Amino acid sequence: MPPAQPARVVLTTGFSQRHTGGVKEFSVEPGTLRGVIKAMDARFPGLGDILEEETTVAIDGEIHEVVYSQPIRPGCEVFFLPKIESG
Amino acid sequence: MAKHHVTTTINGNPVEYLCETRQTLLEVLRDELDMTGTKEGCGTGDCGACSVTLDGRLVCSCLVLGVEAAGKAVGTIEGMAEGGGLHVLQRKFLEHAALQCGICTPGFLVAARSLLEANPDPSEEEVRYWLAGNLCRCTGYQKIIEAVLDAAREMREA
Amino acid sequence: MLTRTKDEEKTLKVVGTRPVRPDGEPKVTGLAQYGADFSLPGMLWAKILRSPHAHARIRAIDASRALALPGVKAVITGADFMEQPFEYVGPERVAVNYWHMTRNIMAREKALYEGHAVAAVAAVSPAVAAAALKLIDVDYEVLPHVIDVDAAMAPDAPLLFEDMITRGVEPAPTRPSNVSKQIDFRLGDADAAFAAADEVVEMSFKTAPVHQGYIEPHACLARIGADGQGELWSASQGHFVVRAYTAKLLGMEIGNLLVHPAEIGGGFGGKTVIYVEPVAAMLSRKTGHPVKIMMSREDVFRATGPTSGASMTVRIGVKKDGRIVAARGVFRFQAGAFPGSPVMNACMCAFAPYDIANVHTTGYDVVCNRPKAAAYRAPGSPISAFAVESVLDVLAGKIGMDPLALRLKNAARTGTQTAYGPKHAHDGYAETVEALMKHPAYKLPLGRNQGRGVASGYWFNGGGESAATVHINEDGSVVIATGSMDIGGSRASMAMMAAETLGVPYEKVRSTVADTGSVGYNHVTGGSRVTYATGIAVVEACRKIIDDLRGRAAQIWDVNPSGVVWEDGHARPASAEVGDFAPLSLKAIAAKRAVTGGPIVAEAAVNAGGMAPGFATQFCDVEVDPETGAVKILRFVAAQDVGRAIHPSYVEGQIQGAVAQGIGWALNEEYIYDKNGRLSNAGFLDYRIPVASDLPSFDVVMVAVPNPNHPFGVKGVGEVGIVPPMAAIANAIQQATGTRMTELPMSPPRLLAALDSAEGA
Ligand code: FES
Ligand code: FES
Repeated sequence: MPPAQPARVVLTTGFSQRHTGGVKEFSVEPGTLRGVIKAMDARFPGLGDILEEETTVAIDGEIHEVVYSQPIRPGCEVFFLPKIESG
Repeated sequence: MAKHHVTTTINGNPVEYLCETRQTLLEVLRDELDMTGTKEGCGTGDCGACSVTLDGRLVCSCLVLGVEAAGKAVGTIEGMAEGGGLHVLQRKFLEHAALQCGICTPGFLVAARSLLEANPDPSEEEVRYWLAGNLCRCTGYQKIIEAVLDAAREMREA
Repeated sequence: MLTRTKDEEKTLKVVGTRPVRPDGEPKVTGLAQYGADFSLPGMLWAKILRSPHAHARIRAIDASRALALPGVKAVITGADFMEQPFEYVGPERVAVNYWHMTRNIMAREKALYEGHAVAAVAAVSPAVAAAALKLIDVDYEVLPHVIDVDAAMAPDAPLLFEDMITRGVEPAPTRPSNVSKQIDFRLGDADAAFAAADEVVEMSFKTAPVHQGYIEPHACLARIGADGQGELWSASQGHFVVRAYTAKLLGMEIGNLLVHPAEIGGGFGGKTVIYVEPVAAMLSRKTGHPVKIMMSREDVFRATGPTSGASMTVRIGVKKDGRIVAARGVFRFQAGAFPGSPVMNACMCAFAPYDIANVHTTGYDVVCNRPKAAAYRAPGSPISAFAVESVLDVLAGKIGMDPLALRLKNAARTGTQTAYGPKHAHDGYAETVEALMKHPAYKLPLGRNQGRGVASGYWFNGGGESAATVHINEDGSVVIATGSMDIGGSRASMAMMAAETLGVPYEKVRSTVADTGSVGYNHVTGGSRVTYATGIAVVEACRKIIDDLRGRAAQIWDVNPSGVVWEDGHARPASAEVGDFAPLSLKAIAAKRAVTGGPIVAEAAVNAGGMAPGFATQFCDVEVDPETGAVKILRFVAAQDVGRAIHPSYVEGQIQGAVAQGIGWALNEEYIYDKNGRLSNAGFLDYRIPVASDLPSFDVVMVAVPNPNHPFGVKGVGEVGIVPPMAAIANAIQQATGTRMTELPMSPPRLLAALDSAEGA
């Protein structure tokens, strides 16, 4: 079986400057959001906690709170963006 | 501080209370008599949340002293529903969703009742001007105006 | 995880109707209890001493004379609260810094704005407490102050914090400033793309700080016992958040504080934070008595969160055919005395309704000597929209295009790339524009001194953490409990969604807001999240209950649970093979609850995602009196994508209320400071919010593009309606007078001055 198409992790410019040396895009194994966070944390130790605490995630544009069980389909875009404030 | 002994009528019931000279009727109602249906939005006569009637006249209870109620008839929101049923205005406010948070509602109801007593068939503009002393930050007033006009209609037909 | 339901084909029986809200009667009879309406035996009254200076070092506070006054039970100052570590915790935009929070509750080294709390007294009556305030001696060293955002960014501005280094700039600046943070969002290359534009317009704008203006001043009652346990009655947008903040500032464990949700008299974002709760709790701990605090209206204006005033520069380039090719926005926001303005939202929302390939937004969060900004309805978005939507109007004029057509041509749709990162996943914007293009009033002719203005707005809408509990009572009636404060009818919408899911009449469901000990955590009622997120929790809990009820019916019939279906509020055999059983109602199953396993109860907790943003487009007609500069709103048409309205009356009400606030923001409301940095209009007489006679009836157009991620298609509706009005009105004034207003509020004196100078030119 060919390997599943990876998912694409995207970070904002500001976030990537602070945490990933300016690299904004990454390829990760699809599966669940937990796996994505673990993969990012493996590359940048400590980043996992930051992603969990500071971001909301857009999966192919659909906004979700960061919840481990969130399914990540092959080929989808996983965009970590700053959490928003409510009125 | 010597207190005044005041004898008055509230919502048709004889009531006596002690109050300081500087205490407003609003403070007396809320803090001494536990009638917290009358609300404080400003304490300076600018919001109408504290509307009550004094001998049938619509007043801001934050601008009236407790001692001034002596010998007069005070009407508050707690006296609006009669005999187990809601007043038409109260019912119409609910049907028209004329309240969101509801903090302004007692004041609007008391003020609207005095409008309809003075003018049973007001135009929309007359309602808007009569209620211009009552602030509502939630509704944009529209559903309040609709409720009052609808209540007026029903009361005229009754 | 969410269950995606396509319910278009299904006929809804309850959702979409307009029943009376369950909490209605107590609210029209005066019996509902708001923040100020609670009392306890032995209760003391507290009052707060506030700084008369905009900026001053506090050298010493001497309370001995106050403490000597008979009836005074305690005085506290900032020193009574434990120190908090200096760190920003939590997500960047909503980062909380408890070092700041505890200083906002009660000043320590410095008073940072007029109205900043410096001490508090608990006494046997409000009068004694007020008298005691006058006997507290504070030794201030008055410092130079700064309020205007541009002045606060100037290199020689007085500094609020001598060690504040701007975050978000690489390399970090070496000199301190009042700029707490800088943020940037880029898509494509805006600077280069402007060259391809046929028309480019750049303009600068200013907006004044405005207050949320809820009619209920902040109030609470606290009781902290010697055993370290406490209770709090407080009117807030989220009693779980009040509990967390108050416990933190008092050094308590969260579980030792029980917070009862008082009814809330309006919030609009301003009651997502705390002011009086830790003060009352600390005074109660110190005196051993329950303590009540009520803010005056003046306190509310001087010490609680207005939203930011701002200074902005926006530049947009279009092709002759109306295609926007590049956009640049710089947004400078007052944070008030502590960091945390909504400037990030402003940057993210500014161009979000549009499909633009090259966008660059920059935001500055700037501290100044004014109360700390608190959220206000779609925080940040209305401010940046005022600038962006004004510039779009100028461009539409330059290329001779209808302003709605310009917006439609550039409308963001599913798949459009946003400047702040992800692609849009929902439609709804173009539909609001089209709704107005089709609106009969859009083509009506206008008279002398009249003008028509158009604007759009975007807001994220929230999801997040909510929990709900559903009980089937002994008689088959239903109670649902959530922890989401009901500011405008959410008990009704929760009951309606539960009734629809269970298949029972609305009247069978009682909907309550439970205290922090009786239901799971619910995040604040804010971000237009409750009908969405808490609604999902309620529906999930109802689905669990249905599974439970099917299981109990199976026991009663002695069949396999898979042979039982739930339809129209009854358990029925799935097919004739299961058996010939008469349907079982809730009441019938409840009667057998003991033998089928005891109480019938289910809980659901969610961290809801998949929310869809709010889009709004509005137009208004105004008439300007050239003699006085007064603007009369003749007509206001507000189109908004509501997903699906659960209770349409309360959805309309949200939109009407948002538009009314926007009109106040546009035309009247502003904080006016004197030369000493003192607020000159701290009351409803001079800070004039719209009254009934200022406004016409609004025409609300509910566009329904259901969100498939919610069982009933809900999208948040509470906030986005406040985003367009300021620009819509400015654009209408421009058409009426030929004068472009770039500063809010467009009050009569300011408009008159602009008209006069245009005439003189
Ligand atoms: S409280 Fe009396 S008018 Fe506002
Ligand atoms: S309903 Fe909230 S102020 Fe009127």
